[in-house]
Amino acid sequence: MATSGRRNGESAAWLLVAVLSLALGTQAMAQGFGARTEESGTQPPTARTARSVAPQDLTGYWESIVTEYWRLRMMVPDKSDYVTVPLNKEGARVADTWDPAKDEAAGEACKGYGAAAIMQVPGRLHIYWQDDNTLRMDIDSGTQTRIFHFGGASAANETASWQGFSVASWEGTRPDSQRAGGGGPILDGGTAGTAGTVGAPPEELGGVRAGYLKVVTNHLRPGYLQKNGVPYSANATVEEYFDRFADHGNNWLVVTTVVTDPQYLAEPFITHAHFKKLADNSGWDPTPCRATEAR
Amino acid sequence: MALSEKSQRQIRKAWLPLLLLLISPARSLWAQVDLTGEWSPRIYNDGRDIGDYTGIPINDAGRLRAETWHQDQMDLPESVCRPHSFDIGLRVAPAQLYISTQFDNATQQIVAYHFHAYWSDFMVWMDGRPHPPEYAAHKWSGFSTGHWEGSTLVFITDHLKEGYITRTGVALSEKAKVTTRVTRYGNILTMVFIIEDPAYLTEPYIRESSWAYDPQQIIPAFPCEPLPEGAIVPAGHVPSYLPGKNDILTDFAQEYGIPPEAALGGAETTHPDYIKKMKQMKVLPRTTTKHYIRQG
Repeated sequence: MATSGRRNGESAAWLLVAVLSLALGTQAMAQGFGARTEESGTQPPTARTARSVAPQDLTGYWESIVTEYWRLRMMVPDKSDYVTVPLNKEGARVADTWDPAKDEAAGEACKGYGAAAIMQVPGRLHIYWQDDNTLRMDIDSGTQTRIFHFGGASAANETASWQGFSVASWEGTRPDSQRAGGGGPILDGGTAGTAGTVGAPPEELGGVRAGYLKVVTNHLRPGYLQKNGVPYSANATVEEYFDRFADHGNNWLVVTTVVTDPQYLAEPFITHAHFKKLADNSGWDPTPCRATEAR
Repeated sequence: MALSEKSQRQIRKAWLPLLLLLISPARSLWAQVDLTGEWSPRIYNDGRDIGDYTGIPINDAGRLRAETWHQDQMDLPESVCRPHSFDIGLRVAPAQLYISTQFDNATQQIVAYHFHAYWSDFMVWMDGRPHPPEYAAHKWSGFSTGHWEGSTLVFITDHLKEGYITRTGVALSEKAKVTTRVTRYGNILTMVFIIEDPAYLTEPYIRESSWAYDPQQIIPAFPCEPLPEGAIVPAGHVPSYLPGKNDILTDFAQEYGIPPEAALGGAETTHPDYIKKMKQMKVLPRTTTKHYIRQG
């Protein structure tokens, strides 16, 4: 009986340990996923702003470093040189009609500086918070400005423009958002996906806050994917992922861009651009839109 | 309902298992950043010509190696089935990719990520093991150890064999070290490669690739059988150009209307201000404006 009683005591103790572990473990997980609790209503949503939960500081001056597709970016490619773009037949037909002089005369020299292509144009960026839920990017090439709206901003009644209407959110801040489809559709239609909310507060791993900036842009004026008239239409959607990191003493901003355009593209077109952080605005060189220049 | 003194003692003794139980779920959560599965490449013809070093921070030694490279070297018996170094296999040669994990049975922790591509196959060790000493064998796949930075898997590869940065002869030395950053953006997987090579580069060379999630993908086999010596290239002959004797080196620049000096690359050529500088440079008389057709 003594042995049995001892076993019972041990069993009770281990059962208690298990229950406590489960309870405390759940509590720990809940603390780790604090944002979910907040999203469920324990904290007013207005208490969080895009700036306050930003997992990365993207602000500052950045310069393009053109290491690939150089001949397509540092120069204006020849007419019909679109071997790197998955154009459909109609896209190729339109590209073959490119006439930069006609664009200049029609006041459409900015067609190569629209949101679907501007990250590929060599130049400098100035990124800063316009307000707590609006990130602004000024670009010296073509003297363009992009506005990234957080917090579920709506594009209703928005007029089509070169830079369109951009909805932004912080993504990848939670492990489960990395699962398939977590960042929104890429290959099945190119809708806005989950972008539009401010985003959850980030977790940390390896001393680095998890997460990246996702931007979805539409309401675009038709423009060019390359300076040589490779077209995208007003129906195009641009998904972008901005990620900052440090390496070899440099701070890098890498942008992955996915352009979906059922009118001119046979499949989503993915490009990359990387930018090195600058100490200040030295070198800032605003240019007008030019149809026959690389920037 | 008060617990007996004995039970209380048992609970006090159990603080260590309790602590372990609390830690375990927190550590395993990030294993859910799921990089595994089939990934289909999205690389749109990054073909480079001989003499195209544009955007590469190449040094003079690198240019000399590239200038003396001959495309027929790839037909030598020892080259025909030669695999790509891991990074060129992922960046330059469009490669279907399959990523899987290797677990430690005792701890259920991820010990390694296994990257398997059409051209290359390598492990990224996550268990904190050190890199081997410099004198250890160098391989096409190198030796890689990784860690997480936020939502990005970062791994560093060294112990690479001498290989190439491009498929047209720009060399990568055995001293090279490559930092790879893997980030999943929903159904897109982006890798950033940063190559350090003190032998042939003046500064780190950065480039990217992306894949789309494609669970139905099937990676084809890579059957390859070396031909006997002399089958393509005459036996005993190693095709190459002597320095200064490469008569096709400027074809790329001439046909695209690029200043020959700019086509030879270098860190300066990667900055936007180089566009202004190029306007002062001479361009060779163009022989065609349809060069791109050869690439398509």
